[in-house]
Amino acid sequence: MQKMKNLFAAFSVLACLGLLVPGAASAKDHTIGALFPLSGPNATYGDVFMSGSDLAVEHINADKMLSGPMSIAYEDSQGLPQPAVVGMTKLVNVTNVPYVLSAFTGVSKAISTLGTRNEVVAVNGGGVGPDLAALGEYFWNVIPLVNLEVRAVMPYLVKEKDIKRVVLIYIDDPFGNSILDELKTTLNDAGGELAEAMSVPTTAQQFSGIAAKVRAANPDAVYIASYGAQQIQIVKQLRDNGVDQQLITYSGYLVPDALALPETEGIIATGQGVNYESEDPITKRFVTDYKAKYNRDPTAYNVNYYNATLLYAILAQALEAEGKEVTGANLLAKRQEMESFNLVGGTVSFQSNGTLLFPIQVKVVKNGQLEVLDTIDFGK
Amino acid sequence: MLALQLTITGLQTGALYALTAVGFSLIFGSTRIFHFAHGATFIIAAYLFYYMNVSGYGLIAGIAAATAGAIAFGLLLNRFVYVPIQRDEGSFFTVFVASFGIGIVVQNVVGMIFGRGYVTVSTPLSFSVEIMEGLYVAPIAWISMLCAAVFFGILWGFLKYSQMGKALRALADNPELVRVFGLNPRFIAASAFTIGSILVVPAAIISGATSGLNPAMGHHVMLISLAATIVGGIGSVPGTLLAGLALGLAESLALLYVDSQWTEAVTFAILFLFIIIRPSGLLGRSAAH
Amino acid sequence: MEAYLLNLFILISIYSILGVTLNFIMGYAGIYSLAHAVFFGVGAYAGSFMAMHFNASIFVTLPVAMVAGGLLSLILALPALRVRGEYFVAASLGLQVLAVTIFSEWKGVTGGIGGLIGIPPLDIAGFEIFKPSQFIFVTVVALVIILFIINRLVHSSFGRSLRAIRDSESAAAAFGKNVPLIKTISVVISSALTAVAGVLYASYLSFINVESFMLDTSVLIMAMVIIGGTGTQAGPIVGAALLLILPSLISYLDFLPQTEIGSIQQIIYGLGMALLMIYRPGGIVGRKKHSETGKE
Repeated sequence: MQKMKNLFAAFSVLACLGLLVPGAASAKDHTIGALFPLSGPNATYGDVFMSGSDLAVEHINADKMLSGPMSIAYEDSQGLPQPAVVGMTKLVNVTNVPYVLSAFTGVSKAISTLGTRNEVVAVNGGGVGPDLAALGEYFWNVIPLVNLEVRAVMPYLVKEKDIKRVVLIYIDDPFGNSILDELKTTLNDAGGELAEAMSVPTTAQQFSGIAAKVRAANPDAVYIASYGAQQIQIVKQLRDNGVDQQLITYSGYLVPDALALPETEGIIATGQGVNYESEDPITKRFVTDYKAKYNRDPTAYNVNYYNATLLYAILAQALEAEGKEVTGANLLAKRQEMESFNLVGGTVSFQSNGTLLFPIQVKVVKNGQLEVLDTIDFGK
Repeated sequence: MLALQLTITGLQTGALYALTAVGFSLIFGSTRIFHFAHGATFIIAAYLFYYMNVSGYGLIAGIAAATAGAIAFGLLLNRFVYVPIQRDEGSFFTVFVASFGIGIVVQNVVGMIFGRGYVTVSTPLSFSVEIMEGLYVAPIAWISMLCAAVFFGILWGFLKYSQMGKALRALADNPELVRVFGLNPRFIAASAFTIGSILVVPAAIISGATSGLNPAMGHHVMLISLAATIVGGIGSVPGTLLAGLALGLAESLALLYVDSQWTEAVTFAILFLFIIIRPSGLLGRSAAH
Repeated sequence: MEAYLLNLFILISIYSILGVTLNFIMGYAGIYSLAHAVFFGVGAYAGSFMAMHFNASIFVTLPVAMVAGGLLSLILALPALRVRGEYFVAASLGLQVLAVTIFSEWKGVTGGIGGLIGIPPLDIAGFEIFKPSQFIFVTVVALVIILFIINRLVHSSFGRSLRAIRDSESAAAAFGKNVPLIKTISVVISSALTAVAGVLYASYLSFINVESFMLDTSVLIMAMVIIGGTGTQAGPIVGAALLLILPSLISYLDFLPQTEIGSIQQIIYGLGMALLMIYRPGGIVGRKKHSETGKE
C-alpha cells in the first residue's frame, strides 16, 4: 500500500509540472496547427511545406488581416500515422486549434476521425492518395489528387511516346495501392497494359532484386510510386542495375534532393500546374517574396501550404467581420458559403468533396531542370 | 536467368550478412554478452566512412577512420557498460536492455549529425556491367565476396593458430577452463570486441555504396546477425558464416515467389523454425537448455 | 489542458496493463518475451474487427479479443517449452517480425500500413464511451481488475509453482510439477489479458495501424517493466508512467528546436535504459541487488 501512495505522489507532482509549463495564449491570437514530418526519413518534405506556410503567416501578419497576430503550432508527424494521431490529440486538446495543416496520405487518413469528432478542419496540401477526397466534410484538399496525375500522364505516354507495357513499383501502403488501382484502369482505357506490379515495404532500401525482376519483365516504361528517400533509392538502384527504360513518376518525386541526382535525368513526372508568370497580385507577391526569402524558385508544395494558410486567414477574416467565433464548424460553414477564393495560381473553387481542382502538367527532367511537355486541364 | 541473377544478388547480400553476423557471433559466443548494439557499430563505421568520403579524405583514410571508430565504440561499450553490469552478475537480459538503449542513442545522435534521410557513398563501382545476356553484376558485388573470403581466411587462421584465437574458442566452450589456465578473461573479452567490431567495417562501407545508409538501419543489421548466429549455432563461426550466406540467398531468391515485403518474414520464419526444431543450429554442438 | 492530462493518463493505464501482463510471465515465470506487442495488436485488431463488422458491445469485443490473444499465444508457448534464455528471446523476436509482416499484409482485417479508420467507441450496455473523461474510468477499472487477477494468481499455489519453475525448472519437475502445462497456462493468461489493452487502445484512438504493434513497442513495454522493477507489483505501472510522462514533458521545453525534439526524447530514453541497467538493474521499485529476479 505504501508503494501505491508513493505512486500517487509521483503522479501528482508530474501532473503539476505538466500544468505549469505551457503558456496561456491570449484570446485574440490566431493559432493554427500543422502536422508535418519534421524528423524521420521524410523530414525533407517538412522543410518544403513549412517554407510555404511560414511565408503566408508573414504576409497575413504584415497585412493585419486578422484581429491579432497569427502563428502556426508545428507538431512532428514523422510522416507516419501513429505519431500524427498523438500530435493531433495535442493540437486539438491542448493548443485548441480550429484548423490544422496536414500532409501525407497515411497521416491525413489517421487524423481525419479526430478532426471530425472535434469539429476541427484539417487541410491537406501534400498527400495525393485518392482516398483523401472521401474523409468527411472537415477534411479539405488544396492539392489535386494523384488519380488525376495518373489519368493525365498515361494516355499522353501511350499516344505520344508509344509506351504500351508498363511495370509498376509501388510502396505497400494506402497511397501505393490506390496508384495500382488507378494505373490498371487508366492503362487499360488508354490501350496500354500493366505488365507487372511489384510492391515494396515502406522500410526497404535494397532494390537490386526488384531491378532484376523489372529487367526480366522487359517493359517499355517503369512507373515508380513511393516517397522521398526511398523513391530516390529506387531510381538510383534501377539505373545502377541495368534498367535503362523510361522512368515515370508523380509530383511527390520532384524535391530538390531528387533533382540533384544524376540518375533523375530524363525521368517523366506529373505535377500540379501553377502559372508562376501570372499577373494576378497574389501570385506575383508570392513568387517575388518566396524567391527573395529562400533564394530558390517555389514549387507546387510551397504554393499549396501557402494557399492552405491563406485560406484560413480569408475565412477567419470574414467570420470576424460578422462578429462570429472562429471555430472549425464556422470555418466549414463559411467555406461552403463563399463561392471562390483568390489564392496563388488564380481564382479557385472547391469541388463538392472538398478538393480543389487544378490542371496537371506532364514534365520531363532535363539537365536537372523541369521542362513542361504538356498541360492537361480537366475542366472546371 | 532471373534465378541466376537473384542468386548473385543474394550471394552479395549474404557475404555482407555473414561478415556482420560472424562479428556478433564471435562476441556472443566467447563472452555471452548479448551485444545488441552491434548494429550501432555498423552505423558508426558506415557514417564515419561516408563523412571521410564526402570530405574528400580518400579511401584509405576513410577505411582507417571507420575501423578506428568501430573498435573504439566496441571497446568503450564493453568497458563502461557491459563490464559494470556483469560485475553485478546481471542476466543476459539486463545486458540486452542496456545494449538496446545504447543502440537507440547512437541511431539518434547519428541522425542529428548527418540527417535522418538516406545518404549514399557514390562510386562508379556500384554501376552494373552486363557480363552475359541479361545478367548484370556490379564490380562491388565481386568486391563484397572477395572481402568476405579474405576476412574469413584471416579469421580462420587466427582462430586456429594464434594463442589468442585458441583462447577465444576455449572461452566459448568453457569459461572455467580459461581461468584455470591463467588467462585473463577480461583481456580475451576485449579482444573479442575488437575483432568482432573490425568484421563489421567492410560490410558497413560496402552497404554505403550499394543500398545507401540511414541511421535506422542498425536494427535490421542486428536482427539478421542474431538470426544467423542462432541458425548457425551459437559459438560456431563456420555455422554463422553459412547461415549468413543462406539468409542472404533466401531473402533474394524469395523474390521469385513472393513480393519483397515478405522477404524479412522468410528470414525470421527460418529462425523460428530452427529454434523449435533444431535449437543447436546448423553446426552447433551444445543443446539450448 | 485537462483533456491533455486525461489523454496521458488513459495511455498510462493502457500501457500499465501491458506492463503488468508482461511482468506476469517475465517476473514470475522467467519467460522473457519480446513479442508482447503482438498480442496487444491481436487484441486491438480482433476487437476492432468485431466492433466494425458485428457489434461494438464490450461483451462481444472483449471476449473475442481475449480468446484470439489466448489461442495465438500458443505459438509463443511452443518455443517457451523447448528453449530458455537467449534462444527464447530470439524466438520471440522472430515471432514479432513475422507478426508485423502479417499485420501489414492481411489488409482485409488489419488495413495494412493504412490501418483501420473510424473504429467505433466502446459500447457498455448501450452507452457509447469515447470522451476522455469517461474513458479514463474504463481503463482504470480494467487495470485494477487485471491487477487483482494477477495478484491472486501470483499468491495462489499456481504462482508458487511458477516461481519454482523460474528458479529451477528441473527442481520443479522433480517435485512433480507439470512444467509444460503451467508455462503454457501462464502465457495464455498473460496474452488474453494483454488483448484487453488492445481493445481499449483501438476504441480510444479510433485508429490503429501496424506501427503501434512493432518491435519498438515490445521493447518499450519491456523497458517499462524492467525500469519499474521486474517481479514487483507496482514496478510496471511506475515504469509506464515514467516512460510516457517524460517525453511529454520534454516536448514542452520551448528552447529545444522542434525538429530535434523527437531525437532528444529518444536519446534520453536510450541513455536512461543503459544507465538504469548499470546502476539499478532491479528497477526503480525493485531491490537494488536483484538476487533472484534477473537470474536464469
